[in-house]
Amino acid sequence: MQENYLLKKSTVPELLGSLGKQTEVFVPCVNENNATDFLPYTGQELFLDSQTYYSPKKILSPPLEKEFAFRKKSSSFKISHFLDRGSKIIFGVRPCDTHAIDRFDKLYLEYFTEDPFYKSLRENTLVIALQCRSSCENGFCQSMGTDKPVGHDILLIEKEKSFFVEVVSEKGKKFVEEHRDFFNRTKFVKPEVKFECNKKLNTKGLKEILDNNFFHEKWKQEGEKCLSCTSCTQVCPSCYCFLTFDKFILNTENSERFREWDSCQLQRFTKVSGNHVFRQSRESRLRQFVMHKLSYFQENHDAPLCIGCGRCISVCPVNIDLTEIAKTIRGSQ
Amino acid sequence: MKKPGLIEPDIAEILSIGQDTSDIKTFRIRYTDKEKQEKFFFMPGKFLMVSVFGFGEMPISLSSSPLQTNELELTIRDVGNISHAIHQLKKGDKIGLRGPFGKGFPVPRFRKKNIVFISGGCGLAPLRPLVKAVVGKREEFNNLTLFYGCKNPEQILFKQDIEEWEKTENFKVLLTVDDCVPSWKGHCGVVTNLFDKTPLNPKNTVACLVGPPVMIHFAIKELKKHGFKDEQIWASLERLMHCGMGKCAHCNIAGKYACIDGPVFNGKELAKMPLEEK
Repeated sequence: MQENYLLKKSTVPELLGSLGKQTEVFVPCVNENNATDFLPYTGQELFLDSQTYYSPKKILSPPLEKEFAFRKKSSSFKISHFLDRGSKIIFGVRPCDTHAIDRFDKLYLEYFTEDPFYKSLRENTLVIALQCRSSCENGFCQSMGTDKPVGHDILLIEKEKSFFVEVVSEKGKKFVEEHRDFFNRTKFVKPEVKFECNKKLNTKGLKEILDNNFFHEKWKQEGEKCLSCTSCTQVCPSCYCFLTFDKFILNTENSERFREWDSCQLQRFTKVSGNHVFRQSRESRLRQFVMHKLSYFQENHDAPLCIGCGRCISVCPVNIDLTEIAKTIRGSQ
Repeated sequence: MKKPGLIEPDIAEILSIGQDTSDIKTFRIRYTDKEKQEKFFFMPGKFLMVSVFGFGEMPISLSSSPLQTNELELTIRDVGNISHAIHQLKKGDKIGLRGPFGKGFPVPRFRKKNIVFISGGCGLAPLRPLVKAVVGKREEFNNLTLFYGCKNPEQILFKQDIEEWEKTENFKVLLTVDDCVPSWKGHCGVVTNLFDKTPLNPKNTVACLVGPPVMIHFAIKELKKHGFKDEQIWASLERLMHCGMGKCAHCNIAGKYACIDGPVFNGKELAKMPLEEK
């Protein structure tokens, strides 16, 4: 039978503090710019009220990451890689964000060929999910089916002065066993959580509707507003586009290869030799973002890329809202 | 820790360099690893991710015959920072290679068919392995036609090969240039102008296209006017890739990735792609 536990809220700082030696622990908290974010745990106060402004994406997909070092040796090159990553724990991951990790797993581990850099990070990361108790400002997770977590190791559900702890994976089981002092066995059943999202997106047949309305005037209207600021793609927990570049280290004998977040909202994203740009207009780039989220990805991966967190809506300086775009296009059918 | 698979480049040596035009060179290359040399095989139309260490990595189509083993060729125009860097390399210098990636032309499906090759500028480089594979097994295929368009006569690639193809049985080779300089005695104008210079019968025929986006667009339009159906058309789409493995999303075209679903797509797939994304 599945064993469940209670973890006293008051003991969480002590638990997190005891992990820090060999493991990097990331927690939801308030960052230096007063935004809620996931940062390494240093004893700071946790932010557990609702979804964080920034998702934990950067932990499994660093904004800038070193792939290889190339060293000129006699007449050839010696290649070394940066695959060895330390172990990590992400505490308090919201259900929607666990779905974003699941989409990364689908892309990086299951599709075509696995990406060894993501794999080494993912395999060494323990995901402790935290169930939401209420809706957030722009989230529409219930519409996307992402209100219950997936692919996590441990689930926490708030229960008065404790967290109800559901152990989901072997990795999670091992973690609880190693820190048994903090976890008390319980006979309570898993608490039911009920809330309703303010925002909704009707996903029924949405892919086909969007595919059939590629040249809908709504794209032009919203595209004219768009500033191509890339905020949406940066805060989106499931946006994964990256570029690679090499950099010399002091001289031309040594160089390194980096992987860096890129954004489909930039014109150069689709530039090819001869300076041809496939997505020249803002309209076409905004459409790429929304279509990738709500249509394209699921052709190859069986789930929409959008996980309904609503962060792109919260962050947009000109109030572009993909649920509103989808609704307008559906409404004009 | 084991080698990180398809994402780590293999070292290869430049054996020789040929100057094709003022800004295009063909590099003859061999993997330094013996096993890699022997195992290397590709379908025409596939590409490699080419590293010039310290400068970066770029996708380049293979331009040598797939029937040729142990060595390969890459034809590269000096146009960006990485391609400029490779143009400065010399015989014996080392580069990095990953791949081959992507889907090429399905050559076995072209057996006993007429083939029309359509190409513009640098596009003859990715098409050359296909033409060489077909000419190398000439008896397996029917009539061949090559339509090749360039900016000016100096930009014409692989002149030696073209001469050889012109002499090949039932192989019609038609060239055209945009800049009609007085010394040029051949056809003038865009490549689609050539379609009326020789009978273009869609019956039992496939068309294989490699060239700039605008050429692909208009050539397909013209082919359809001549009665070609989508499934008879195969075109290689140009996109910049950063990974070659369907991850970086630079080459995303609707639900497809040019790096793994292409770069060679059948006309039926192309027809489903939204117009501006081609």
